[in-house]
Amino acid sequence: MSLIQVNDLYKIYQMGNTEVRALDGVSVTIEQNEYVSIMGPSGSGKSTLMNLLGCLDTPTSGEFFMDGINVATMGDDELAHIRNKKIGFVFQTFNLLPKSTSLRNVELPLIYNGEIKAHERRDMAIKALTRVNLGDRVSHKPNELSGGQRQRVAVARALVNNPAIILADEPTGNLDSKTGEEIMVLFDELHKQGNTIILVTHEEHIAAHASRVVRLLDGKIAVDEATNRGKK
Amino acid sequence: MKSFFWENLRIALSELWGHKTRSILTGTGIVIGIIAVSLMSTLINGVDGLFEESMKFLGRGNLYVEKWPWFGDEDWWTLRNRPRIELDMAEKIQERSQYAMVVAAERGRMANLSYKELSAENIYIHGVTANYPEVSTVDVEYGRFFTESEDRTGAQVVLLGSEVAKTLFPQGNPVDKMIFAGSKRFRVIGVLAEMGKFMGAFSNDTQVIIPLATFNKIFHGPWGRRSITVKVPEHLVEDAKEELRGVVRVLRGLKPEEKDNFAINQQNAFRQSYQGIKLAIGGTGMIITALSLLVGGIGIANIMFVSVKERTREIGVRKALGATRSQIQGQFLIEAMVITASGGLVGLIISTLISMAISKFLFPATMSFGVAFMAIALSAGVGLFAGLAPARKGAKLDPIEALRYE
Ligand SMILES: Nc1ncnc2c1ncn2[C@@H]1O[C@H](COP(=O)(O)OP(=O)(O)OP(=O)(O)O)[C@@H](O)[C@H]1O
Ligand SMILES: [Mg+2]
Repeated sequence: MSLIQVNDLYKIYQMGNTEVRALDGVSVTIEQNEYVSIMGPSGSGKSTLMNLLGCLDTPTSGEFFMDGINVATMGDDELAHIRNKKIGFVFQTFNLLPKSTSLRNVELPLIYNGEIKAHERRDMAIKALTRVNLGDRVSHKPNELSGGQRQRVAVARALVNNPAIILADEPTGNLDSKTGEEIMVLFDELHKQGNTIILVTHEEHIAAHASRVVRLLDGKIAVDEATNRGKK
Repeated sequence: MKSFFWENLRIALSELWGHKTRSILTGTGIVIGIIAVSLMSTLINGVDGLFEESMKFLGRGNLYVEKWPWFGDEDWWTLRNRPRIELDMAEKIQERSQYAMVVAAERGRMANLSYKELSAENIYIHGVTANYPEVSTVDVEYGRFFTESEDRTGAQVVLLGSEVAKTLFPQGNPVDKMIFAGSKRFRVIGVLAEMGKFMGAFSNDTQVIIPLATFNKIFHGPWGRRSITVKVPEHLVEDAKEELRGVVRVLRGLKPEEKDNFAINQQNAFRQSYQGIKLAIGGTGMIITALSLLVGGIGIANIMFVSVKERTREIGVRKALGATRSQIQGQFLIEAMVITASGGLVGLIISTLISMAISKFLFPATMSFGVAFMAIALSAGVGLFAGLAPARKGAKLDPIEALRYE
């Protein structure tokens, strides 16, 4: 049984008379502990696909199985549970809570986890922030951080619950190449630990960290192949 | 689950802090409602205390045979034309009634008193039988009460109420001094302890007490109050009242078809009419409370809808990170309850201060723990109620829609 199996997925936005086919019949299967990068021009449907895989959005049609279970049949609480425990999501636009400190932002998934005590939560959040080199920015609010630092807070928040699947929508988009590499080293490590990683990127050298690359074009999969790393 | 509560409390407090003016404005309705309800309960408790204090003057087991009923709507002329109470009925009542433990008789009227050049005007002179202390609260501070033989012989002795004593004897002990009531000389044999006012109006401290026989000897004529007090066991007071009615009817020679031409009064009459007043106060207070809580609650609901709307993205983020519907709902419910409970707390503090002022200047009124608890619970309840619809709305948001909301 595959971790993720998507069959003929459509996401169509009706904008007045014109319809926008953000996803136009996508089928893809991703196994446990795969390392996949998704590429494609702007507007090709990468974020749309990520949102669906992250159980945040619902498709217009098509099927999505996670661990063999049809996501469409899942109830609200079940989905919330999956988003909390199983998936770590790095948003393209970060989506940090503007009034909360980095620490509080990173703690959020742990709060909704419901099983972790306050002091443990704090320790785990600090550890996650340290992993993205922000150990000295725990009490800064998002507007007191640079764009790259915000992105790293978003990455720390995605990691903190140690989710089985990490979905990262351009996690290095705002970072200089050195910091970007550091984040990728982090993802490589997580991958080695057995996590499944799916990331969107525009940069080939970032995509090269993955073992497989899926290229989207106009909402369709144009290419789905192993990278050099994957071929090894 | 416990951790969500604290988490939500923390979010709620920081939200309120972030919108101070808004929170204060929305909380005001609740503050007023809680002031109304807690102050009203406190006042009623205070007035209750006052009432019970006053009722001490009228023993629970006392029946008063009098011409005039204390309450009621009988025709004034009929009452006016009733024969006056023959005080010598007291002895016969004592003989014939099985329930009567003590039967005391009393008369009263106003008179002027003087001691040397000092005078006290319009003082209530109370002529009572020697057993009067057994049916009423008589607390002799200095000296003594008069004896049966003094009553029988019509001795000219007097006990002064504390105010009268102060007026006639600003310094020094009145006991054994001679005072004048009209043209008659009386020897002061005692001074009563200060008793306070009856129902906040009539004060026993401005009366003097003399033996009934002396009163009869000096004051002729039909004026003044006459009353026979029959003390019966408290728990049998209703039976005793019926029996007493029969006894007096027989003594008066009333035929079966004739109506009573006397009244039997008791503390209950006061109680009943007091209950009516209390209900009226309570009812008014309840209406004010209900209205301000309703208006306050609508305000809270409104502001919570605004808050949910403003924080759509926040809700999206929380949901994306795994918050369930009930967790989001809980967050907003707790927020609404925190606003209203804080409003309740402020209201409670204000009404505590007001009741302290009342205690100081009017009568004892203290906020009870029960009232405080009820006020907080009530205000939190309003929050729960008002927050329900907005919280639902927030909880139902679709995560991706919420995240895209600008
Ligand atoms: N809510 C929406 N309503 C209408 N159209 C939408 C909506 N969301 C996305 N789209 C459209 O769907 C298409 C795919 O968008 P998507 O965000 O997935 O692109 P992307 O590949 O992530 O692009 P980028 O690299 O710029 O992030 C775009 O043409 C976009 O305009
Ligand atoms: Mg995108």
